[in-house]
Amino acid sequence: MRSPSPTARRTALFLGALLVLQVAASRATVDDAHSFALQSAEPYVRQGYQVREDYWGGDLGVGEKKAVRQQLFKGNDYWFWMGTEVEQAKVSVHVYDADGRLSEQPDSWQKGHFAAAHLIPKTTGSYFIIVAVESSPEDRTHWALVYGFK
Amino acid sequence: MRSFFKILLLAGCVLAVLRFDATAAEPARRIDVKRLSKNIDDVVVPLPNEIFGALNKLDSVNWKEFVRTNKGTNFTERPRIALLLGTVIADGFIAVQAEDAPSVKEIGQRVVSLAKGIGVGSSIVPHAKAITEAADHRNWPAVRQELDRTQNSVQQAMNEVHDEKLSQLVSLGGWLRGTEVLTAVVNRHFSADGAELLHQPDLLDYFQRKLHGMPEFNLPLLGKIQSSLVEVKPLIDIDSPISAASVKKINEITTRLDEGIVTRTP
Repeated sequence: MRSPSPTARRTALFLGALLVLQVAASRATVDDAHSFALQSAEPYVRQGYQVREDYWGGDLGVGEKKAVRQQLFKGNDYWFWMGTEVEQAKVSVHVYDADGRLSEQPDSWQKGHFAAAHLIPKTTGSYFIIVAVESSPEDRTHWALVYGFK
Repeated sequence: MRSFFKILLLAGCVLAVLRFDATAAEPARRIDVKRLSKNIDDVVVPLPNEIFGALNKLDSVNWKEFVRTNKGTNFTERPRIALLLGTVIADGFIAVQAEDAPSVKEIGQRVVSLAKGIGVGSSIVPHAKAITEAADHRNWPAVRQELDRTQNSVQQAMNEVHDEKLSQLVSLGGWLRGTEVLTAVVNRHFSADGAELLHQPDLLDYFQRKLHGMPEFNLPLLGKIQSSLVEVKPLIDIDSPISAASVKKINEITTRLDEGIVTRTP
């Protein structure tokens, strides 16, 4: 078997390094989005909401939506906070019940690259948390979603 | 006069654009959930204390009688350790509900030794320390937070080494213990609202799917859990209220499974 030429090896190394850098960069931005989501949650922690360690994130194009399905319990009070590090972006988060009915409280809000939805479930069961990037200067916008309950 | 009309027309256009923008920001009152299926994540497994918190608001629960610190059996099979780990973390949440500091600390140590057995001990030692400190100060919200962090760190460490299936077993162990305690409480003082907390069909589907994808573990206990979930499904996946008889049946099933998880039965 012939060993690869030095040029091919260099190219492979370069591509490998590029891939590692790209992965690192994408991870850094989802982590940044997570920091912004947690920033939205901060005032609520003082009100007794326990924010879960786990979070959901990824990237979305403008107008694209993503659904997170979640088991929620009647009796608890939930907030979902979404954030992105792209400050010029506008994001949204809304909660629908298993039949697709909008279920959030009227104090849910959207402020530029932050958004939050408040839910006091009327029934125990599955709910859909729909996240979306409404506008953004980026092709793909990183987002993160955290939630808390009390 | 003509310029007045121009201004009026311009103002109308601006208002129309603003109105369009405001309308665009309004969420749809209703969506077709079937059309979401391509772009939907797996159901999120709740923490045991999400259920306990809801239960607490319905009835005064004597959490002390559900506290369990018994060290239990030591296993060598990693899937068994993962299931037990989830169960023990759920026990930690129960001890917090009971505000039982010595038990919380004991459970914290047990979690460390189980996590070591599965190769992820180092990631949770700082959390175990924080649990002990918070329990000493009877800072229960901090203990809850640290238990959540513990579970999260264990599962992240497992996912990093591509042990996602073990991570799912941690969630399953916690869910089974949580369901056992939930049904025990509701069975004692039945209420329709308490029974409604068992309405978790998507979660059950999720665990069934995950168990189905673990043939390589080849453990009789996992087979038992799988067949038991088949028994539970028709009891909770209904449109009518969940009955007292169903709650009792689910309690029997989950108690049996819990015994299987904590003791060395095949």
